[in-house]
Amino acid sequence: MTRYIKTAVTLFLISAVCTLLCAIVNNMTAPVIAMNNENDRVAALSAVSTGLTIGEEMEGDGGAVGYSIPLTDDSGALAGYILGLTANGYGGAMDIIASYAVDGSVMAAKLTTNSETPGIGKKAENDWYMEMFKGLGADSPIPVTKNDLPSEQSALVSGASVTFSGVTSALRAGSDYVKSLGGAV
Amino acid sequence: MSHMKELTKGLFKENPTFIIMLGMCPTLSVSTQVSNALGMGVAVIFVLTCSNIFISMLRKVIPDSIRIPSYIVIIASFVTVVEMVMHAFVPAIYEALGVYLPLIVVNCIILGRAEAFAGKNGVLDSALDGIGMGIGFTMSLSFIALIREVIGAGTITLFPIGSFSGTITLPGLSASPVRVMTLAAGALLLMGYLKAFFTWKSTKGGKA
Repeated sequence: MTRYIKTAVTLFLISAVCTLLCAIVNNMTAPVIAMNNENDRVAALSAVSTGLTIGEEMEGDGGAVGYSIPLTDDSGALAGYILGLTANGYGGAMDIIASYAVDGSVMAAKLTTNSETPGIGKKAENDWYMEMFKGLGADSPIPVTKNDLPSEQSALVSGASVTFSGVTSALRAGSDYVKSLGGAV
Repeated sequence: MSHMKELTKGLFKENPTFIIMLGMCPTLSVSTQVSNALGMGVAVIFVLTCSNIFISMLRKVIPDSIRIPSYIVIIASFVTVVEMVMHAFVPAIYEALGVYLPLIVVNCIILGRAEAFAGKNGVLDSALDGIGMGIGFTMSLSFIALIREVIGAGTITLFPIGSFSGTITLPGLSASPVRVMTLAAGALLLMGYLKAFFTWKSTKGGKA
């Protein structure tokens, strides 16, 4: 019995010391991580706003659209929306920030938080990747699979079909959401 | 055994990747870019060295029946530490390494060295073993990443410094790269060729 108690206490003490170490490091790094995340978010919002004025954040549809932010032009008229989208990738959930015109066409998009495979799925972080969807969503549909892309673009996303499907399904959901708003704020 | 031997054995003679064949999962998955390989290498050196030191210090305290859970707790703690530090101070590398950073916990090199060496040897030798094995792993990973990135993408991705963007583009290769080298199949092919080369090299050396 004593041997079991001694073993349990030893493992408990080791775990306690390790937990303390993690807590100390977390205390030092958490504010820096929060600040980095906020800076990234602001930079992403600014990048996809395409020069339009960013309004107040509102709740999304509770599904793929986490939040929406109206965009207005210089005259104050509604010119589009920024949506915070959630997609399913190869490495789990992915966050996408995308801007849409009022008709539901993609103006710009950026993949932010993700755990995609380095060098493969992570290619979706590049600007050229999201450029493929620019202007799509209104008259021209957003592609469902890489087979819907021209051959040179299809080759670029080769090897990362799950990431591609995740991104396109989220962008389609965003486009549908914007269309459902019908130009309302 | 001299201390220097503990440090240098991981570089070539007992290289974890090419000789002992440990840590193949991150080797094959992260070696798509040189910068990712270097980032992963630094993280592994830190975790391997710290966990080896900690486990060596506690080797006479930890009962044999709970040594593996204890090692896992210690290794996971140092991986969590390195993950938080990288997330805060080198977010680009943290994002690039993705899921493979927390998976260092189950990297066979870390647990393998804890079980085979740190749990039986002194603190200094364990620290040198961790540093040597970590550097050996980093060298191997960077070498594989360099070949894969050059052939598969025609680029060499390092870290941006000042006006240097961090990416060296190789004319010719970047226009028509052998894309299979950036995929898992290319990694397995290259690993097979490199393993064959190192086995041939060590066999030839043994006969000579």
